Amino acid sequence: MTIDRRQFITITGAAISTAILASCDSRGPKGAQKLLKYAERKNEVVERALFRHRAMDFTPAGAKFAGAALPSYFISKTVPVWNNANGPWTLEIGGLVDKPVKLSLQNLMDLPRTHQRVNHYCVEGWTAVEQWTGVRLRDLAKLVGARHEAQYVDFESFDDGYHESWDIDSAMHVQSVVAYGLDGHLLGPAHGAPARFYSPVKLGYKNTKYLTRIMFLPNNTGGYWSDQGYEWYGGV
Amino acid sequence: MDKLRHHWIVRLTHWINVVALTIMVGSGLRIFNAYPRFARRGETFCCYPWEGHAIPPNLTFGAWLGGARHWHFAMMWVLVVNGLVYVGFVFLHGEWRDLVPRRGFFRDSLEMLKFYLFARRDHPIQGKHNALQRGTYFVLPWVGLLAVLTGIAIWKPVQLAPLTDLFGGYVWARYWHFISMMLLVVLSFVHIFMVFAVDPYSLRSIITGKYNPENSPEERNARPFYHLLPNRFRKSEGDA
Repeated sequence: MTIDRRQFITITGAAISTAILASCDSRGPKGAQKLLKYAERKNEVVERALFRHRAMDFTPAGAKFAGAALPSYFISKTVPVWNNANGPWTLEIGGLVDKPVKLSLQNLMDLPRTHQRVNHYCVEGWTAVEQWTGVRLRDLAKLVGARHEAQYVDFESFDDGYHESWDIDSAMHVQSVVAYGLDGHLLGPAHGAPARFYSPVKLGYKNTKYLTRIMFLPNNTGGYWSDQGYEWYGGV
Repeated sequence: MDKLRHHWIVRLTHWINVVALTIMVGSGLRIFNAYPRFARRGETFCCYPWEGHAIPPNLTFGAWLGGARHWHFAMMWVLVVNGLVYVGFVFLHGEWRDLVPRRGFFRDSLEMLKFYLFARRDHPIQGKHNALQRGTYFVLPWVGLLAVLTGIAIWKPVQLAPLTDLFGGYVWARYWHFISMMLLVVLSFVHIFMVFAVDPYSLRSIITGKYNPENSPEERNARPFYHLLPNRFRKSEGDA
């Protein structure tokens, strides 16, 4: 079969266009996934090196509180609410600690509290300004006597198995807080009541809501979103 | 009569840049589509007319937010290292002399524009590049630098807060990141258009490095789509 010049141009053009379209909105070449994993590991090294305890999040002077515009998010089908039939809610803190504790909401509120007006950095690209009230995790770590071998902290919830683990440095940042208040009110069910972890040093998805247990651990236990393929470190 | 026009380092970094920039733009637009607006939650944003309108998915790369982020944060290293090699080479090897505006830059640019718009008969005398090219090739690395700095600013708004603050905070840094990307895209498309419309012979020079000066736009008196063929194919019109 012979083709004339016009056919040749049409066929070549169609082939190139198809190839370009097929590669668009795709995951990219399969072989590249290994390289991407490699880059993610190296980026974590860079991000850990960039981390400073003294680096603080601050909010712009004129920024409004997001209030009702703050999206609420959970993985259960309906808003997770603690079922008192299982006994009253407590926050368990354990793992590599000298004195594991179970704190009631009242115990938590009796501890030295901190108010902070900070940004929420969502992986999607939006930010929201909120004021959180709670207890610094570094204070809780002192309370339970967390040991030096604890290099990671895992935050568990009653939201259908959602959990996220953190490197110890980010978890001990002064703006990393177990929060029970939002904008001067007790936390509502939409935003993680009775208590949630909140820190501006990592992306929103790393901050576990509906807390049940905080475990100090020697190893990285992953998390709900890194299981879905998002970066585990997620630092900002 | 062929002359070596582009050193192999320039050619290599050019094509690496084509791939890296395309992937950065595509994955960046996919990331943008996760929240295609600039306003902080509960606020409005003054300066983007298409708040809330997603970029057509066919123009994006990475398939999903996490995938696009992995591509973006991997390719950024290629883009930065490649850019540093290019700028470093061009500086040390002397090529920068053809890539910075000269005295009389604005007058020369105006003359080029007049020529392209048929308000001037003869192609202005130039060296390797005309004034408009010099301006573009000079501005591009600076826009690239802005894209990289604003990118770092929204990657680490807490750890590198002073940098983010320099661009007006996270929301504005994200906006300037988008604007610098748009500038790079627009300049790239003008560049590609001009290659095909005025100097297709330069395609060869950015692949093999070779260029025949007899085919330069200045020799051909070439405007977009005018005098595309080498002079020997043209009847003597007395206007060249």
